Amino acid sequence: MDHKRRTFLGIGLAGLGALAAAAVGWPLFRYLAPRSSREAAGKVVVPEGDIPEGGARFFEYAGSSAVLVRKRDGGLVALSAVCTHLGCIVQWQKESQDFLCPCHAGRFSTDGVVIAGPPPKPLAKIPFSVSGGNITVG
Amino acid sequence: MTLLKKIVDWIDLRIGVREIVRKELTGYLLPRNINAWYSMGSILLVAFALQVLSGILLLIYYVPDADKAFKSVSQIMNEVPFGWLIRMFHAVGSNMMVLALLLHMLSVLLMGSYKRPRELNWLTGFILFSLVQGISLTGYLLPWSQLSFWATTVATNSASAIPLIGPYLVEFLRGGVLVGPPTLGRFFALHVAVIPLLIAALIGAHLFLLKRTGVSTPPFGQPETPIPPPADSYRYEDHPGGIPFFPNYALEDLRSIALYLACFLAVLFFDPYLFFPKDAFIPANPFVTPAHIKPEWYFLANYQTLKLFPNELIGLSLQGAAMTFLALLPFIDRGRQRHPLKRPLFLACFIAGLLLWIGLGIWGHYS
Repeated sequence: MDHKRRTFLGIGLAGLGALAAAAVGWPLFRYLAPRSSREAAGKVVVPEGDIPEGGARFFEYAGSSAVLVRKRDGGLVALSAVCTHLGCIVQWQKESQDFLCPCHAGRFSTDGVVIAGPPPKPLAKIPFSVSGGNITVG
Repeated sequence: MTLLKKIVDWIDLRIGVREIVRKELTGYLLPRNINAWYSMGSILLVAFALQVLSGILLLIYYVPDADKAFKSVSQIMNEVPFGWLIRMFHAVGSNMMVLALLLHMLSVLLMGSYKRPRELNWLTGFILFSLVQGISLTGYLLPWSQLSFWATTVATNSASAIPLIGPYLVEFLRGGVLVGPPTLGRFFALHVAVIPLLIAALIGAHLFLLKRTGVSTPPFGQPETPIPPPADSYRYEDHPGGIPFFPNYALEDLRSIALYLACFLAVLFFDPYLFFPKDAFIPANPFVTPAHIKPEWYFLANYQTLKLFPNELIGLSLQGAAMTFLALLPFIDRGRQRHPLKRPLFLACFIAGLLLWIGLGIWGHYS
């Protein structure tokens, strides 16, 4: 009988402890959790004239880094600037018209396709539209 | 269960953990007539730990820059999920910790536990009390509100009454002629690094002294025995036949801590702005002094004393004398008797002092 009472009290106490831990843990988790970058994702507008032919412009997009490139043939590309290997930010090489990741020498073409080095995937493409002399990313 | 036993056996073989448990927990005997007031130390340990934890959490979003501090605190309160809870936990917690500390000191005074051979315990405790006042004062400035700014202006200005070095001391404390961005930098460093480290070190010393001297026997609830003569060599005060710290008194400690947390959380959830006048919600403006700037409740008696004396030096000297008297009390009050009812002069001074402190505080609040 006494053993049953002890077990019951033990379970009750453990339940209360779990409730208390949840009451402390949930606010703590919410306080520390990063605010979703998707929530903060707004559109980024870049004037077309800011990107010369063969040039690139880096900017912050959805809490991360992105890049707009105007190819020599005049075409535009918007890509994530985060290397798919270990997350460094790729650098635009104007002379060779490609991206170099300085961390482990990964190379990507203007369209983000892997051309050399360890990156496993191409750079992610970002949607954009052009109207009235402005490029709207997102 | 067998896995747990195996782990304990493995550790025990290497560091003798069962012997530590026997010596420090189950075999650590306390006086049979020990009372709930002996839990105040444990409550304070928990309160300090909670302040450190909530303070670290606030550091994640707080910006110690005069241009950004108020905005960052507003952001914590209004935008960060549960930021209001962490901030109010820290702010209300500091007040509750001061209250617990005062009750701890009052119980030690009343039970005469500061007396020989525990003079050093009292002294380290008194320094801890001063450090807690210091950490409260420096923390007060950090939100960079009107209240913070002007309360710090008034508090630091008090030092100007000290002859010769006073004006320079004020400038040194502030890092400039007036309270400004350099003051915030200094107070921030003191609040988050220097004073917490000192408090932790002093807590260590306080506990070490407690461990070496042994827990005092309460003067109540036991048959009267003749007071033994003072020992002329070191002697640990043990309590043969007493109650074990674990599980008996540890449960009492837990109950007291739960009671403290219940009171603390009641204030936190039902009257969180109890300690916040409206100036705490207005950003600091160095060109506009608010009408009735008042310090925290535990500084109100000091504030009113300074107001009562037209000469600030006399007011400060009186407070300094009172603090020195209290700090050195074990060396002044050297009688062996510890029961308060058998120390009528002490009891009269204790009640008069307490009433004076409360009276000055109420007067300061409504003046």
